[in-house]
Amino acid sequence: MPQTTVRFEDLHVGDDVPSASRVVTRQDVKRYADASGDQNPLHQDEHFARAVGFPGIIAHGMFTMGHLATSLTDWLGAPSRLKRLAVQFRAPVFMGETIVAEGRVRALDPEARTAVVDVWVRVERDGTTEYPIRKSEALVAFAES
Amino acid sequence: MPLNAALEGKVYPDATFTVDEQRVALFREAVGEAGQIVPPTFATAAEFAVFPLIVGDAELGLDFTRVVHAEQAYEWRRPFRSGETLTARSRIASIRQKAGNGFLTIETELLDEDGELVVLARATMIERAA
Repeated sequence: MPQTTVRFEDLHVGDDVPSASRVVTRQDVKRYADASGDQNPLHQDEHFARAVGFPGIIAHGMFTMGHLATSLTDWLGAPSRLKRLAVQFRAPVFMGETIVAEGRVRALDPEARTAVVDVWVRVERDGTTEYPIRKSEALVAFAES
Repeated sequence: MPLNAALEGKVYPDATFTVDEQRVALFREAVGEAGQIVPPTFATAAEFAVFPLIVGDAELGLDFTRVVHAEQAYEWRRPFRSGETLTARSRIASIRQKAGNGFLTIETELLDEDGELVVLARATMIERAA
């Protein structure tokens, strides 16, 4: 568990969620396939991935979403605070790349003690920033303090 | 062959899914979770208790070799409890064709032993033009 977790009272619109980086390895993706049950060969078989038009195997979108969700629950301190997460997958993630999960508080509701957080995952590729997850959002809720 | 749009609304048979501690431990490692929680996106594993029925549905005509994941949403009513058994119930929420691509949205309810909703999951897949 993280040492400190965010409190609703400390949040302001525009605050950043702590950035979380992770290098994606083939072993991680294989482990994700086994843990999730998603054995699509696109994520494990180079030949298959090339045959369907990718330069190599790509991570599951849900692998990247899982990393994003971990960054949020680490920030929040408790999975019960994460109420909703809705993402759009917009770019592939290749093996050896570093995915960076980030977010920013868009809106606060002091009565409901909820926050809407814009979230995304980026990767630097050939000198440009790509967004495997973009234009996505989380709803987080804080029980009475 | 485009997706069979007549299948919009189709409900698939319930599948049972246990929040198995060993599998949760593997999942935690896969998503980089250092704590002892059940990661919220473990819901994906429960969705995959039903998805093979949909992928293999001859009536639907989905070519899984052309499928990529476009969108995913989860609404959690409470965290998962290690060891609990859930019922996964999926339905086809929508089927659309756009520019040769097929868009398939599947909604899955994960219900606990009391029939209470734990998670509502919504997955949108694109079947890319052949």
